[in-house]
Amino acid sequence: MTRDEFFQKTLGEARIAVCVGCGGVGKTTVSAALGLAAARRGRNTLILTIDPARRLADSLGIGELGNQPRPIPSSALSQFGVPPNVKLSAMMLDMKRTFDDLITRFASSPEARDRILSNTLYQHASETLAGSVEYSAMEKVYELYEGGEFDLIVLDTPPSQHALDFLEAPQRLVDFLDSRIIRLLVHPALSAGRIGLRLFQRGAQRALQTIERVTGLGFLEDVSEFLLAFEGMSGDFRKRAQRVESLLTGPEASFVLVTGPAEDSVAQSVQFLDRLENFRVPLHGILVNRIHDWPGSSNALPTVLEETPLALEQLTAALAHGAGADFPAEEAARAAFGVAKRYAEIVRRDEASTSVLRKRTEEIGRYWGRIPEFAADVHNLAGLAQVADRMVLPEENRGAPTPHRPGEEPDA
Amino acid sequence: MSHEPARRLLARRLIVVTGKGGTGKTTVATSLALGGARAGQRVLLVEVGRDEQCPRLLGSDSQPVGYAGRVVSTGITCMKIDPFEALTEYLGIQLGVTSVVRTVVENTAFRQMMNAAPGWRALITLGKIWHLEQMTDTDGRPLHDLIVVDAPATGHGVTFLDAPRVAVAAVRAGPLRRNAERVEALIRDPERCVLLPVALAEELPVMETAELVSRLTEQTGVCIDRVVVNRVSPDPLPSGISELEDHLRRIEPPPDACFPDPRILADCAKWATSRHALNQHHLAAIRRRTGLPIVPLPQLSGGAGRIQDLERLIEPLTGIET
Repeated sequence: MTRDEFFQKTLGEARIAVCVGCGGVGKTTVSAALGLAAARRGRNTLILTIDPARRLADSLGIGELGNQPRPIPSSALSQFGVPPNVKLSAMMLDMKRTFDDLITRFASSPEARDRILSNTLYQHASETLAGSVEYSAMEKVYELYEGGEFDLIVLDTPPSQHALDFLEAPQRLVDFLDSRIIRLLVHPALSAGRIGLRLFQRGAQRALQTIERVTGLGFLEDVSEFLLAFEGMSGDFRKRAQRVESLLTGPEASFVLVTGPAEDSVAQSVQFLDRLENFRVPLHGILVNRIHDWPGSSNALPTVLEETPLALEQLTAALAHGAGADFPAEEAARAAFGVAKRYAEIVRRDEASTSVLRKRTEEIGRYWGRIPEFAADVHNLAGLAQVADRMVLPEENRGAPTPHRPGEEPDA
Repeated sequence: MSHEPARRLLARRLIVVTGKGGTGKTTVATSLALGGARAGQRVLLVEVGRDEQCPRLLGSDSQPVGYAGRVVSTGITCMKIDPFEALTEYLGIQLGVTSVVRTVVENTAFRQMMNAAPGWRALITLGKIWHLEQMTDTDGRPLHDLIVVDAPATGHGVTFLDAPRVAVAAVRAGPLRRNAERVEALIRDPERCVLLPVALAEELPVMETAELVSRLTEQTGVCIDRVVVNRVSPDPLPSGISELEDHLRRIEPPPDACFPDPRILADCAKWATSRHALNQHHLAAIRRRTGLPIVPLPQLSGGAGRIQDLERLIEPLTGIET
């Protein structure tokens, strides 16, 4: 897939763009830059993040992100090429509240709702209940999608050790709510009379007795109360989860895998691609963020940097020429070779660590995009605009005097 | 460094290494284990995540060490704590009948429930670590002089160490509560246990580490007495040469020049100096925000793929000559 096709699909056509990837690769920044790029194309866009750091709010120029979409002032956006009638908003997912809302919506009765919300286990555990964070994120996306206020929602998925966690988690939650052990606790009568289940029930009873003996009094009471309170929810939950799933696997979604040049991020991304078929998500491209480009052109490998005596002598002379008499020209020449060699080493290392992933991406016909490492942190809309330019524009249209300079400050 | 940390790092029995993904906490944990072993300690290096990485860093073959653990390098035993294995062992100790326990733990429905149930993984893992800390040899000395835990990444890290406190709050009585109390006591004992956060001199890791330090100190009472900042870039320029970039940009190369394009050299110089300046800025920020001594580690030029690379980190980490 070409650059133009990829961004046309993801920014121009999709209703949901999901950024997945492991932690520490700059997923939030990439999501925000994608959001800005979509707004520039004239689409009303929402950036939905779960990153509690204030940085996104700061760099978007809004005071604080809340559980409601907050628009970025159009006066600020217009100077970065966003048409005046187009909105770009951002919000931060409050996971606990989204999950509470979910319980409130799906509880079978007000009593059941209160039982769940006031349960000790729920209060301590709703954020760590397997999959609840990821499920909440998907749930919120679906709600906003249904609301229809935005042409595109860019979802920055929760940071997880593994990119796959996000896709597996909701199923784990539904499995949990649907699991036989819950059905047995809730409806023991249903399973009577069927041999297989009876056998199972003996095992389950033994399991429960074991837990009771080990955990002590009261714990199991809380557990079963917690589970009982979910009675009636699981059916609706499942239906809802299925609708969310078909949205995310359908033509209105586009998944972007964000990765970095570090070996573990690359390894995880390869694993992600290997298992892609299991999840049937429309992954169109991979963006490798913070990769080091050799000056002159991205994709070019470092030019030869041989520090021969003649080269050193010539560079020393060239540096001395026009500098003061006390300028240590030879030391400066050595230092210049030194930093260039170090930078070349990093460029080669990034190339070596990512090449397997790039080949794999090209083999399966997905887009492979590079976002170079900038020397300064991305702090504001100008910085995000520059990241967006690097992503979206072909090299010849970027308008910089040289195609890429590693020292360039994104918020210059 | 403004002042020396109160105690030598390796004098602790238990060091829990945590940090945001990508900060190199596994590298730091493994280097610490090497440092302990070089100082003659019997070291146990514990991994908690999904994959085993430490044995590979120590040059061991691909054979997994698993829950039973294996000596992979002189003085270093590696193991990986799988929560289900730990649960089986724990239930076995509590009930005394291993066969029943196996049947229960391997029951599909039980697994399904435990897969989704919150909190217990951290608790059982910490319980196992407590148990390992208590173990003694035939002479009654601790079996492991030093236990280094490569803990889950930040965020998960708070939940991880907070699990015993939550359990004590949620469970009214019984063995589970007693166990949680014992684990909590170990975590709160600054003589025995220390948490070692690993950060990078970059904006987000600095903010997250500052948050982690204040949240963990408040919620769990664990001792944190220094912060490791990994991959700090060295000052690229010798003293007396500032503005190398400007000098390079002014160069007019002779027609027969055999040195590289000065614009490229200038770009590289700019990258190195701005990167170093940014690093220093974030180092100052993390020192200011945590109020803790900072242990800077150098950037390893070839990454941290070999034992020799890890050994270069021992001295700056622990103050032991190698």
